[in-house]
Amino acid sequence: MSQMSQMSGAAMAQDKVGATAAVREIPHAVSPGLWALGWKRLKSDYVGMVSLAIVAAFFVLMFLSGTGLIAKDWAKEVGVNYAAPSFIGADVEAGTPAAPAEAPAATPPAAEYQSAIVDPLANVMDEIKGGKPAAGAAPPADVAKGDTGTSVDPLADVMADIKAGAKDVAPVPAELRAATLPLGGDKWGRDVLAKTIKGSETSIFVGLASALVAVFIGTLFGALSGYYGKWVDDFFNWFYSVFSSIPYLLLILAVAAVLNKRGMVTIILILGLTGWTGVFRLIRGEYMKHKAREYVQAADAIGASNARRMFVHIFPNVSHVVLVQLSILAVGFIKAEVILSFLGFGVPVDVVSWGSMLNEAQNELILGKWWQLAAAGTAMAVLVTAFSLFTDAMRDALDPKLKGKAGA
Amino acid sequence: MGAYIIRRLWQMIPTMLGVILLVFVLFNWVGGDPAYVLAGKISNQEQIDNIRRQLGVDQPWFVQLWIFIKQVVTGDFGASWSTNEKVSHILATRLGPSLTVVLPLTILDALISIALALAVAYVRGSLTDRLVMIVCTVGLSISILVYIIVFQYVFAYKLGWFPVQGWGNSFGENLFVYSSLPILILLTVSIAPSLRLYRTFVLDEINQDYVRTGRAKGLSENRIMWLHVLRNASIPIITNLMASLPGLLLGAFLIERFFSIPGIGREVILAVERSDFPVIKALTVYVAFATMASNLLADLMYKWVDPRVQLK
Amino acid sequence: MDTKNDPLVRVRDLRVSFQIDRDHTFEAVKGISFDIPRNRTVALVGESGSGKSVTSLAILGLLPPENSIIGKGSEILYGGRNLLELDPAELRKLRGADISMIFQEPMTSLNPVFTCGFQLTEVLRLHMGMTGAQARKRALALLEEVGIPDPEYKINAYPSQMSGGQQQRVMIAMAIACEPKLLIADEPTTALDVTIQKQILDLIAALQKKHQMSVLFITHDLAVVGDIADDVVVMRNGEIREQGPARAVFENPQDAYTKALLKCRPQLDRRPTRLPVIEDYMDGSAGGPQHMEERVRGALPGDPVVLEVRKLCKNFYSREGLFGTRTFEAVKDVSFKLRKGKTLGLVGESGSGKTTVGLTLMRLHEATSGEAIFEGRDILSMSPREFMPFKRRIQIIFQNPYASLNPRFTIGHILTEPMQIHGIGDDTQHRTELAFELLQKVGLPEVSFYKYPHEFSGGQRQRIAIARCLTMKPDILICDESVSALDVSVQAQVLNLLQDLQDEFGLSYIFISHDLAVVKYISDEIMVMSEGRIVEIANSDEVYRNPREPYTQRLLASIPKGWHAPTAGTEAPPA
Repeated sequence: MSQMSQMSGAAMAQDKVGATAAVREIPHAVSPGLWALGWKRLKSDYVGMVSLAIVAAFFVLMFLSGTGLIAKDWAKEVGVNYAAPSFIGADVEAGTPAAPAEAPAATPPAAEYQSAIVDPLANVMDEIKGGKPAAGAAPPADVAKGDTGTSVDPLADVMADIKAGAKDVAPVPAELRAATLPLGGDKWGRDVLAKTIKGSETSIFVGLASALVAVFIGTLFGALSGYYGKWVDDFFNWFYSVFSSIPYLLLILAVAAVLNKRGMVTIILILGLTGWTGVFRLIRGEYMKHKAREYVQAADAIGASNARRMFVHIFPNVSHVVLVQLSILAVGFIKAEVILSFLGFGVPVDVVSWGSMLNEAQNELILGKWWQLAAAGTAMAVLVTAFSLFTDAMRDALDPKLKGKAGA
Repeated sequence: MGAYIIRRLWQMIPTMLGVILLVFVLFNWVGGDPAYVLAGKISNQEQIDNIRRQLGVDQPWFVQLWIFIKQVVTGDFGASWSTNEKVSHILATRLGPSLTVVLPLTILDALISIALALAVAYVRGSLTDRLVMIVCTVGLSISILVYIIVFQYVFAYKLGWFPVQGWGNSFGENLFVYSSLPILILLTVSIAPSLRLYRTFVLDEINQDYVRTGRAKGLSENRIMWLHVLRNASIPIITNLMASLPGLLLGAFLIERFFSIPGIGREVILAVERSDFPVIKALTVYVAFATMASNLLADLMYKWVDPRVQLK
Repeated sequence: MDTKNDPLVRVRDLRVSFQIDRDHTFEAVKGISFDIPRNRTVALVGESGSGKSVTSLAILGLLPPENSIIGKGSEILYGGRNLLELDPAELRKLRGADISMIFQEPMTSLNPVFTCGFQLTEVLRLHMGMTGAQARKRALALLEEVGIPDPEYKINAYPSQMSGGQQQRVMIAMAIACEPKLLIADEPTTALDVTIQKQILDLIAALQKKHQMSVLFITHDLAVVGDIADDVVVMRNGEIREQGPARAVFENPQDAYTKALLKCRPQLDRRPTRLPVIEDYMDGSAGGPQHMEERVRGALPGDPVVLEVRKLCKNFYSREGLFGTRTFEAVKDVSFKLRKGKTLGLVGESGSGKTTVGLTLMRLHEATSGEAIFEGRDILSMSPREFMPFKRRIQIIFQNPYASLNPRFTIGHILTEPMQIHGIGDDTQHRTELAFELLQKVGLPEVSFYKYPHEFSGGQRQRIAIARCLTMKPDILICDESVSALDVSVQAQVLNLLQDLQDEFGLSYIFISHDLAVVKYISDEIMVMSEGRIVEIANSDEVYRNPREPYTQRLLASIPKGWHAPTAGTEAPPA
């Protein structure tokens, strides 16, 4: 329209004067977008903030242990077998039932014990040192001269070599093992506290990584399926129904049975490649719903391409759903990883997980050693509870329309 | 109605083929050469070739696929690689024990969760509601492993109220003696998520306009809740229950393993531990079919129970 | 003491607030008082946010208990008792028996899983103590009374098997089943087509006379009020602006807001150059509204044509049976000419295909067959790439202002995006300036550029939608029910804006609506559609003066006449 071009022509003429100036800004208060509003709402939710703090604490633990700052030596056997937790008190010897939980904290300070292993050669050694023949033994040979003599000991030659070499070697100090550890020790005397911390690193890492894989796949498939519809939708739906017909755990176990090499990447892929179905369904529904909304039709009217509509227009309206799903899946995968590791199909044996701790705890319970069970179980319960409560709080903060339904 | 069923069955065929294809790709391709697995560690090339010929894995892949499809259709997967028991026999005998645990569990879970959900929805927003929800969340967060270990230790081992493990011969004995603790544990674990879900369904209904109309008519809150709301909420509840049944059969696998119950779940774990491919393949395919069938059943029930929906 | 002439219900100093979050409350009703006399119809009128629905819900105690707060000292007196302080059990006895209520959306207000008969007999068995058989007999009689055909069959039907009008009749049957003394009707016809609306209004009026009950009728539509009300209460922002007998309020309004409300709705008999808006009356500017002289509208055969549509058809397909498809013909053989600089009004009830015509012309749906000639070329047969440069020449403004702007975009982004896509403006600086200009043109402050849609009201959002269209300098604008979701006062502002833009830029409009008065006001020519076909097409004055087709005549006869005095009155007779 000529009038309209006249109008913008005048504006252009004005602009030519300050053509190199930056975009003119009118002073304005910054309007909060979705995320700022959500954060504000979250801050007023007491339960949500507390659970966020707990989850953040676990994350910090994960980073610290992942970079080796703490719990690096979880595999070292630093305590006696089945060492009791410090708040219970030391056992007199390994293998006796634990003292009752009400034992007063004023226990004698932990003495240091040497390995209580009986040395079968003690007699002979004493005799060799003393230079006197043991009762009933053959006359001693002069070992220093390399002469084994007529000893009946079949290992005499070997011992002679050892003794000859031992003179040149500095004595190794005997390993001192603690009688009690902060949260107790497992069957081989490894520190349960360190294991628990390391286990949290495993769980969180596996949980988050798998969740990212699953959410990525599910969102991409769901967006394409919901947006384009027709045969694209048919194809992805077929794919979805094949995967979702097979009960989830069975699929995981089947894939685990097939992929024999054990590794962190394997389990992340297993969980991620099988767990995308829920996200797919949800995002597909969201995309179908939004596609029918007028603002997407308006985007079509102004000439936006399909890709633009899918990712620039619709996705920001769906991103909060994706984030909540990420959180929900992470929680689910943490729980799944524990079960898988318990069964032996999870992380490799040289990586500790709460699942493997629970596996060991199974047998320890009969012996009355409950601390590994308590440590792994409690740590996991705290993390998962906090994460779940935080997920609920986040969902309520980002989409208050659901507030009444999901609980406070 | 008939046309709808036929159309749905027709639509299920590509999915069934897809499942067969997926299982085939997984086990015959990714899974590596089964001959080595079967032959054990010590074997010579001739033995391996022999086994290969027996299993038919020396044939081109489409022949193998055809063999597999035939197996699925006839139900004959040969014998288990480890126990040499016929796979079809394995499946047939293990189904019973699993059902003995899962069916009473489902019924009890549904009754308790629905009642609790209605009660909690009645007092929605109050402190009781929030507390119950938090207790549910905490309950959900404790791994099922912990529940099993602790319950087994306390109630069976220490207190002796239940047998620690095992399975009997008569149905009654199995149901009341051997299944009691497993069902109790599973109930504890599954009520929390059911309650959360059903509460959502019920709350969805409470916010509907017809509830306001009911009040305007002078109906009591009880009548509105237990008749009007429940009848509407039962639609998603029932379809949800039906669709999750096959998953439950397997989900009990941990219980079956701990309590040595000879069910399908335990069979799956054993098969995976021993890399017993025929068993796993058969189970995967048949459970998938069962899931599709129960989904169809759930959809039919949904359309039968909800007058708004037309059958096309 | 209850004498025959005492009002049935007295509302005294009613205050209602809502708790929004921990620190904020919102006062919905700020202390209002009015009476509902016996055996009369009282209309409670107001725009959105006026508090009229909240008031009606408060009478029966149906406000949500979680976050509603009733002020101390509020009274709703019925039969000598304050309903607000009544014991819940006592209140339940009154609901449905003494005082009943019907709501706006009959589809969701009926329980979808129970038959109509069940829901009807429920209230009879509860309040009147009838047995099953007695209740069923009475239910059949009620269904017949409210005009449901085939009551024996319909009594076993589910709500989803009935039309909107029938559902509302069932609701009314449930409400009058126990012979209440007061019937509260909360916008019962707003969701219905205009022909059905008339039937329901007539039904309610007939029932009121027959059963000698009072009716409290809540609505935003003054024309409806004029038809049915004995007394009128006008509310705005939680307060009563005016109340009294209908005649007094319509013929001699005292309050400025009431005056404005009565005037700013397009009348059927006059067409001022500009519609008066609330502000014209409220800020006391001398002389009231300006530019009230008549505007002449109409198209002459020689007027230049900007778009010619020939035999447009659009079918929708759905699956049927085992392998078949069912075809739904939404638009059948539609042909018309749009004159340059003029407005073509497109009128029809729901399902007539009017919206589909607009979407198909914009190629948001693909046409099944037909042509649309623009600048000598058929835009329907072009490939999407060929069509791109033409896309910006035809634009659309949708009905729902709350859904047509992307909630995650700032207004600035919404306005500059089309410019980016079509290469308008040399750089960001230029585009921003253009956006500022357009915002001012549609009457919004420049600083809106940085805000999000949720910070604006419905009317403001429609302005933004208009500005978005203008960024591309279109020739044709399709207004798809663009003012239908707006309050009457806001509607007038937006209609004025559209007219200003047409006057200034020579835009051609296709104005789609079901509201006949608005269409008559703004259109030069009118096209009436029914079931996908054009029924009648002529200059708008012609159509209203001399409707030729029976359907058009029926449609025009259903328009609420508005207030007319019982004797041959001062107002000109309706068209």
